[in-house]
Amino acid sequence: MKPTSTGPTKDDIRLPASNAAGSGLWSGYGSTLLLLLVFAVELGVGLFLLRDLRTANVEAQRMYAGSVLGLRRIGELQYQAQETRRATLYALTTSDSNLQVEYADQTRAADHRVSEGITEYLQQATTPREIELGKRLSGDWTAYLSVRDEVLASILEGSTKEAVARDLSGGVPLFDHVRQDLDEIKRQYDEQASQRLANVEATSHRSVFRLIGVIFFTLLFATGSVWAIQRSRVQSTLQFAKLQMDFVASVSHELRTPLSVICLAADNIADGLVGGKDQMDKYRSVIRNQSRQVTELVNQILLFASTQERPGQYVLRPVKVQDVIQSVLDATNTLLKEADFTVEPQIEPGLPEIMGDLAALSQCLQNLIVNAVKYGGNARWIGVRANLAAAEHGRKEVCISVQDRGIGIAPDDVQRIFEPFYRSPAVTAAQIHGTGLGLPVAKSMAEAMGGYLTVDSELGIGSVFTLHLPVAKAKAEAAAVNSEVRVSSLK
Amino acid sequence: MQPVRRILVGLIACLFLMQVPTGRAAGPASSNAEGSPDRMLAIVVNRANPVDELSFQELRRIFLGERSHWPNGKRITLVMMEPGTPERKAMLRDVYRMSEEDLNRHFLRGLFTGEVFASPKTLATSVGVRKFVFNVPGAIGYMALSDVDDSVKVIKVDGHLPSDKDYRLGIKPVLSDK
Repeated sequence: MKPTSTGPTKDDIRLPASNAAGSGLWSGYGSTLLLLLVFAVELGVGLFLLRDLRTANVEAQRMYAGSVLGLRRIGELQYQAQETRRATLYALTTSDSNLQVEYADQTRAADHRVSEGITEYLQQATTPREIELGKRLSGDWTAYLSVRDEVLASILEGSTKEAVARDLSGGVPLFDHVRQDLDEIKRQYDEQASQRLANVEATSHRSVFRLIGVIFFTLLFATGSVWAIQRSRVQSTLQFAKLQMDFVASVSHELRTPLSVICLAADNIADGLVGGKDQMDKYRSVIRNQSRQVTELVNQILLFASTQERPGQYVLRPVKVQDVIQSVLDATNTLLKEADFTVEPQIEPGLPEIMGDLAALSQCLQNLIVNAVKYGGNARWIGVRANLAAAEHGRKEVCISVQDRGIGIAPDDVQRIFEPFYRSPAVTAAQIHGTGLGLPVAKSMAEAMGGYLTVDSELGIGSVFTLHLPVAKAKAEAAAVNSEVRVSSLK
Repeated sequence: MQPVRRILVGLIACLFLMQVPTGRAAGPASSNAEGSPDRMLAIVVNRANPVDELSFQELRRIFLGERSHWPNGKRITLVMMEPGTPERKAMLRDVYRMSEEDLNRHFLRGLFTGEVFASPKTLATSVGVRKFVFNVPGAIGYMALSDVDDSVKVIKVDGHLPSDKDYRLGIKPVLSDK
């Protein structure tokens, strides 16, 4: 016997990379997520930095508005207070009443400006110390003005000695109090300015440190991101290559066995080793069965390739659920009988028609039933159930489920069984042959018809695969759904 | 033509009588009815001064320097305007009833004998007078009523304010002064 080992390669079947390997998702979405994460982190730290800069700016503005302008105002107050006193004393230097009245005007104008400045200071005072200082200054200034008025009156009356005596006894000490108050306010502004300057410096330093942190963090994160993206790409490439190898190995095995049998049978016939009609019939039967198996496998692969290439190939029309199930049971009748499986259909009466392509629906369910036979275990029982259920947005859908009481699927594998060419290590170890295409094909078909496929499985108990399909409403709507399906597939 | 001439003479006489002020012969005062309020002479004191009213005689004594203190104890300071101003002329005529030379002589003699306590302060303008009175609690001065503002207080003389009909102190019109 000449062993034959031919099988499809990657060139024979064009596979979308993202679907071919589940972990390819990581390279696609993962890198985007990473970049988004980097962006978010950068944005967050950037906002912190901006807040720092803004705080420094506000602090600087406060320093200017509060301290620098305050110092300027106090300087002006000091000047005007001196003017008040100067004009009063100048009135002493002349006996001309006209000039004295002029000096009186000058001193009153200056004291008015001082009083206004004190009022403004009190209005802007916020801290208890500022308020206390402002009140003290106001009181001392009022007391000085009272004496100043008396001195001024004495000067105008011509009582110079009396004016000097009053000024020495009351005016000088009270004006000294005012001067001390103003000096204290000035000192306070100086302290505030120093404090705010220190705050600005501290904020600036903090901003610099944060900026360095941001740059460092950016570099670190960018490096990490690049590394992670590269790693995920390498991993996905490796995984894809492994899947391809598994697929080639699996398909080769699936093909080689029947081909070997066919070749061996053909060789035996050619070598004249087969004699008699009974033996010839047996060989003919073997060759036919094995040929069908090879054809079936090739068809499955081609079918998968076609669902990937032309997802919008189906024409959806209202189909009766009973017709679909009957068609599937007819198609799998031989297989079920050979495998000695019992099928228990439970179809809810009065089910509405569903939107779908009869052939595709049959193929989809057929794949589920073939899987149920493969992994149905010794129970040799398959339940086919159809019922009406509520879907999203208040719609109705028909659920057709295929249940088995076989080996079940491990929770980790449940996530991956719809990946093309994926085969669970458990079924590989159990030498259950397959291509890993049955479920992906069924899933693709279900989605192409506007439905979806779900699985509920428990290891050692069995599995339930459910095909959810939309209920057909009216002809017009059916046409609309058709066009929608086509448009979405084109997109 | 006689009746016409009589009517014309009568009209001219009426017009003449309307132009000539009456009551001038009665003494120091002019009447509020004679001129506008800005021609009245107001006597002003510091707003803190409790005195609101003086008799003409008291006023005269004060301006002659014969009183030294107000009832509240503040020293009286006289404020005059410079010689030649209408207000000063009115004061000389109506209050002092003496000439400029007599006034100077009066104060020189009074200061020497001790009968007068302080000579008046002299200011050039009514604004100066007003500011002086504003600054000195015991000051008393005079000015045209139109120059008065809220910084000083106008006192009554013999119970009358300058705006009253029977107020006696007025600034003599320049024309009639000649």
